[in-house]
Order: sequence, then C-alpha cells, then structure tokens
Amino acid sequence: MKSAPWLVLGGVVAGFLGVLGLHRPAASGALPQRPAPSASPARRAPVAGPPAAAGSVTGPVVPYGYGELATRVTVSHGRITGVGVPVLKTAEQFSQQLAVQAIPVLRNEVLSAQSARIQAVSGATYTSEAYAQSVQAALDKAHFK
Amino acid sequence: MSQDGLVTHAEPVMGTVVSFALRPGDLPGPELRAALQAACAVLQDADAVFSTWNPGSPLSRLRRGQPPTEAGGGQPPVLAEVQAACQQARDASGGWFDPWAMPGGYDPTGLVKGWAVDKALRMLDQAGVPAALVNGGGDLAAFGMPGPGRCWRAGIRHPWRAAGLAAVLEVYGAVATSASYERGAHLVDPRTGQPGGQAASATVTGPSLAQADALATGLAVGGDAALEVITGLPGYQAYLIRPDGSESWTPGMEFAEA
Repeated sequence: MKSAPWLVLGGVVAGFLGVLGLHRPAASGALPQRPAPSASPARRAPVAGPPAAAGSVTGPVVPYGYGELATRVTVSHGRITGVGVPVLKTAEQFSQQLAVQAIPVLRNEVLSAQSARIQAVSGATYTSEAYAQSVQAALDKAHFK
Repeated sequence: MSQDGLVTHAEPVMGTVVSFALRPGDLPGPELRAALQAACAVLQDADAVFSTWNPGSPLSRLRRGQPPTEAGGGQPPVLAEVQAACQQARDASGGWFDPWAMPGGYDPTGLVKGWAVDKALRMLDQAGVPAALVNGGGDLAAFGMPGPGRCWRAGIRHPWRAAGLAAVLEVYGAVATSASYERGAHLVDPRTGQPGGQAASATVTGPSLAQADALATGLAVGGDAALEVITGLPGYQAYLIRPDGSESWTPGMEFAEA
C-alpha cells in the first residue's frame, strides 16, 4: 500500500479540476491564454516527501485552464483526513471567486460536521455568541429591571 | 450527564460562554461539583480583573494610568502573571502578537481568555477529575481521555460555512482559532497600529492555551510570515486559511479523521 497516498491525491486533484472546470468565464472577461505564472509556488508548503502510510503529501502545481492550484492531502490509515490548497492562482477575479466557493464544497465531501465525532468546535461560533448575548441580556434585566 | 458519560456545564463569563465536559470517573458527585465550581470561580475572578468592558476593573484602571485598585493597594498578582505571559507570547510570535501596540495602550485581551481557561483546567486536574475539556468560546484545552481508547476531538470551524468544519483535530493540549468572523475580533497590525488581518482562519495548537490563543491572534494578523515564525516554535503547530481560500500548515500539524 505504499503508493496509496499518491493514488488518493490524484483522485482529489481530478475532483478539483472537474468542479473548477464547470464554470463559464465572465462574459466580457478576456480568457487567459495560459495560466498565470507562479512566482513562488508553495513557498510555505513543506516539500512533498516519499509517500508514507500516514502523513501529508503535496501535489504538483496543476494548471486547470483558468489558473493553477496544488493540493495537499493528509492520509492516515488509508483514509483522507485533510485536504488543503497551498497554491491557488487565477488570472482573473471571477475564477478566483468560483475556486474559493468550490474548495469548501469539495472538502466537505471529506469532512462534515454531521459525521465528525467531536466534543468541541474551535473558532467562535454564532451559536455561542448568541447564547452569551441572550444570557447577558437576561442578567442585565434581572439586575437593573 | 451527556450520552457519552460526560458531565457538561456552560458558564457565561468573559463575554462568551465557557463550556465544560468532564469525565467523572470514580470521583464522587459532590467533589466533582466542587471542582467545577472552583474552576468557574477562576474564570469569574479573571473576568473581574481583566474586563475591558468594566471601567472599574483593575485592567481598565491600569489602562487609564490609575492605580489598579481603588484602595490604592498593590496590584493583583495575576496582572503581573498575565503581563509575563504576554511578553513570552510577543517574543514567541516574532512581534505579531503585541498587547503593547494596541490602540489605547496595553491590552492583553488576546491572551487572557486562554490564560484563564488554562487555570480553570489546572484546577480540575488538581481536584482529581480524570479528564476534562474546557472550551472558552472557541479556544479550548483538555487533559486526559474522554473514555477508554478515545481522544478528545475538536472541529475547526469553517470560516465561511457556519455549520461546516475546516478540519478535525485530536486534542492533547490547547487549540485556539482566531478569525475575522469573530464578534469583536478587532485584529490590529502591531507594526502599524491599524486594523489588519491576513487570514480567514488561524489555528494554533500547543501545550499552553494562553500562548496558543495569543499566537492564533498573531497568525491571523501576520498570515504566512507568522506561520513561518510558529514553524520554529517547539511544541506548537499552526493551520492557516488565507482570505483567498488557500491554506498552509506547519509540518508537524496532524489532522484527525472526520
């Protein structure tokens, strides 16, 4: 199973390309002749090491018609546990917006709040804020009528 | 008692809700409740000292250049304790977290919540609670295991989808996430003193929630430059989602199965 992460990675990249390829460019926007050159691809992304049973692998920067991207996939025990996009460059704003919308959709195929067995969520939630505001309002009312 | 055998409690404090999940183990009920009360008292005490909303709090008085207490006595020891933690975090973050560069003077708000949760958690540990997770409105820390062969697990909130998760982590210490969606998250660039931020979501894990909380604030402000700094910090890992949706994380960051 040494090559499993790479097979997985290829599938994920294909998935990204499939979704990103669905969109039409803006009517008046000029089509880019070639993907925008990547000045410093994945500067902060660690270099992909040899595939391992558990770990992260970074794919190559892939041009997809309206820009280019690279994915980074974390695999543990033969399952994808994380999908990141360390490089995302598009020639124009419209493609950028579509890519930004597509990335969470694609990732949620892998990770979803409903299926995750978690005890907590990191990052302030609207729910906890609304709860706190409501409780605070009640306390204020009780103290100051 | 929740379905999975954990005792839960929600404490409104510090402008948010701090939620507790405790594994009671063999600890008798009265002792467990006493431990929980003591932990909550720690949080309420911290709120009383460090509230920036209450003009009479020792921190508010200090910020106005007044003696920290009305009686004019010495300053509460926790003020110096938090100040030392702030200095440590400022150095560790390469200056991306800097409470002394805030408009209106010294403001440790970015660290205090994590510091207080650390303290509450230590209180539970010392009282003999076998395992606990404390979530301070999205910045959390845990010790022990929630059940046999199980780990504490936390989702990282997705920056644009309120019900979605960006990732799932196993929790062995602290997890703090800072983001522009936070209510009242006035991220300030310490270099300019102006509002700024280079992240949609910035998560830091590590042994101390006070430090992770501060580093997450610094990561949200400094983006890739701050990520590079955290990469060199022993024991700490980071996960950055940029405003354009692209992401990076430090080489030691480990994600869990969703």
